[in-house]
Amino acid sequence: MTPEVQEAIKEISEAYPDCHLESVDDGQGGAVVTVQNIPLEGALYLQTQTWVGFHITHTYPYADVYPHFVRHDLSRRDGKALGEGTSIGTFQKTPAVQISRRTNKLDPTSHTALLKLCKVLRWLTSRP
Amino acid sequence: MADFSSMKRRYRLIVPDDLYRRLDHHLFPGDHDEHGAVIVAGIAESKSEVRLLARELFLAADGIDYVPGKRGYRMLKAGFIADRIAMCGTERLVYLAIHNHGGCDSVQFSSDDLRSHQRGYPALLDIARGMPVGALVFAENAVAGSIWLSGDRQIELSEIVVVGRSRRRLTAAPTRQVSLSSPVYDRQARLFGDLGQAILGRAKVGIIGLGGAGSLIAEYLGRLGVGSFVLVDPDRAELSNLPRLTGASRWDALGWLASEKSPKWLQQIAFRLAKPKVLMARRNILRANPSAKVETIIGDFLEADIAARFTDCDYLFLAADTARARLLFNAIVHQYLIPGVQVGAKVQVDRKTGEVTDVFSVVRPVTPESGCLLCNGLINAAKLQEESISEQERRGQRYVDDPDVIAPSVITLNAVAVSHATDDFLFYMTGLRDPNAPTSFMRFHPRGRQVWSDEPRKSPSCPECGQGPRSRLARGDARRLPVIERTKVKTAEATESGIRLPA
Ligand SMILES: [Zn+2]
Ligand SMILES: [Zn+2]
Repeated sequence: MTPEVQEAIKEISEAYPDCHLESVDDGQGGAVVTVQNIPLEGALYLQTQTWVGFHITHTYPYADVYPHFVRHDLSRRDGKALGEGTSIGTFQKTPAVQISRRTNKLDPTSHTALLKLCKVLRWLTSRP
Repeated sequence: MADFSSMKRRYRLIVPDDLYRRLDHHLFPGDHDEHGAVIVAGIAESKSEVRLLARELFLAADGIDYVPGKRGYRMLKAGFIADRIAMCGTERLVYLAIHNHGGCDSVQFSSDDLRSHQRGYPALLDIARGMPVGALVFAENAVAGSIWLSGDRQIELSEIVVVGRSRRRLTAAPTRQVSLSSPVYDRQARLFGDLGQAILGRAKVGIIGLGGAGSLIAEYLGRLGVGSFVLVDPDRAELSNLPRLTGASRWDALGWLASEKSPKWLQQIAFRLAKPKVLMARRNILRANPSAKVETIIGDFLEADIAARFTDCDYLFLAADTARARLLFNAIVHQYLIPGVQVGAKVQVDRKTGEVTDVFSVVRPVTPESGCLLCNGLINAAKLQEESISEQERRGQRYVDDPDVIAPSVITLNAVAVSHATDDFLFYMTGLRDPNAPTSFMRFHPRGRQVWSDEPRKSPSCPECGQGPRSRLARGDARRLPVIERTKVKTAEATESGIRLPA
């Protein structure tokens, strides 16, 4: 893994000390990362926590970290569909809900995989 | 830690044009007096030479930092030196103290200068923690330099090359007149001079991508008499790209096997045995100039060992259009101070209606001091990500469901961009470029017969071209390039079980 990817993983595991983090080297300098048991704030979903998976590639921090994947059975309390920005996908051969949130203007000096993860979670838990 | 011990290698200093202009203005304001400055530089080593890459210039204020000397005429003040040299030790940069003498076209250190080096440099070497330290003395249009290495070894600087908007070479004394160029080049040598032709003959050019645009670049540079090339492209000729590859015949794509009438398995054999594009380009170059040195690499520019082969070129042509190649090219330009240009042509088609919406050719010069592809929003972060994931992951990401759209491509669109880009190279290398000519990006729109020029922006905080303490600029071998880092471990894709996820 590149030093930048290692740093990103370290940052995430420090920010989520109670969530088990697993990372697999992608053979190109990047890593496929899964963080388990991330709490889903608020009461939008039936589930209170989820795993989140994403790929930090060797072109990080220049590359955007996206899409993110969460548990496939994620469902809203109000019965509405998950809607725009989400789709059904697979992550590491596992069915998952795919969340596609691109960052259009990305500044590699301040962009981190952790920041992106937080933004995605905030987006997910504050859907209308 | 790098080993600077070989005495045989030549040492050169590469200086971006804008830095050189500021220094020249400071040393020669017209008062015919002595002035002082410091340059800190990164290092790039190859078998034959060590290139010092000027990263930052510190001008010594007269009477404050540059003061009457105890023994010599003037000297840099200890405090001014100490701050810079400490920085060199921690950041692994080379410290170069600068002053000027009068006169022009030739220069050498005075006996006072030499005595002060003997007194001062062993101590400076200590503070620089193993990094070389040196001194340069300028006259107008001349420079001499001496580099000190640990173990009391000293090496003369062989030359300074100013790169960027305009190119020039400075040495301690005028170099010998060059020999007459071959009668083959008579007509063009009448424009560039025998010296210009000799410069082209000594130049080493890297071409990334030998498809439609790269093929033409190789052809033009081969005809011009450029002496050495590094070519990289992973692909082989296919029937559908023959109309854009110069000198190509159906044999190169094994046309009789590859035609659609052949069975699939024969087509596949043709695909595997067809001529690699780099070898076709090499054939064209050698046809034009049998004495050219051509390194061909059938592979991926993004591999670390392949990218490294482009770091000692004099000029780079990027003719491969992926975001990752742009990122790496842009990094090499700034990290190794090698001017380059990105060329390409694009036909934009509306995905729904299939209608052509825009057609253009682009020429984007990228030089160490100009705004870079990253600052100008030309390296797409999402594309970088998409290009870096595996085929399997791409399939897993369902929303990327549009089939690979095959982009239209036409030889003349490439030719417009390539002609301008090679012209830029030619006038730059031979010193015929107007030093104040704009370095704007150019776009040619054949439908409306319009030419646009876009002034590149430069962000001071850019991690590539910016001057910030963490920027890549002129770091040379000390910084990792954004290449693929191959690891022998089982990859995520290769792991049978993948990552274990709770149900
Ligand atoms: Zn002197
Ligand atoms: Zn930049």
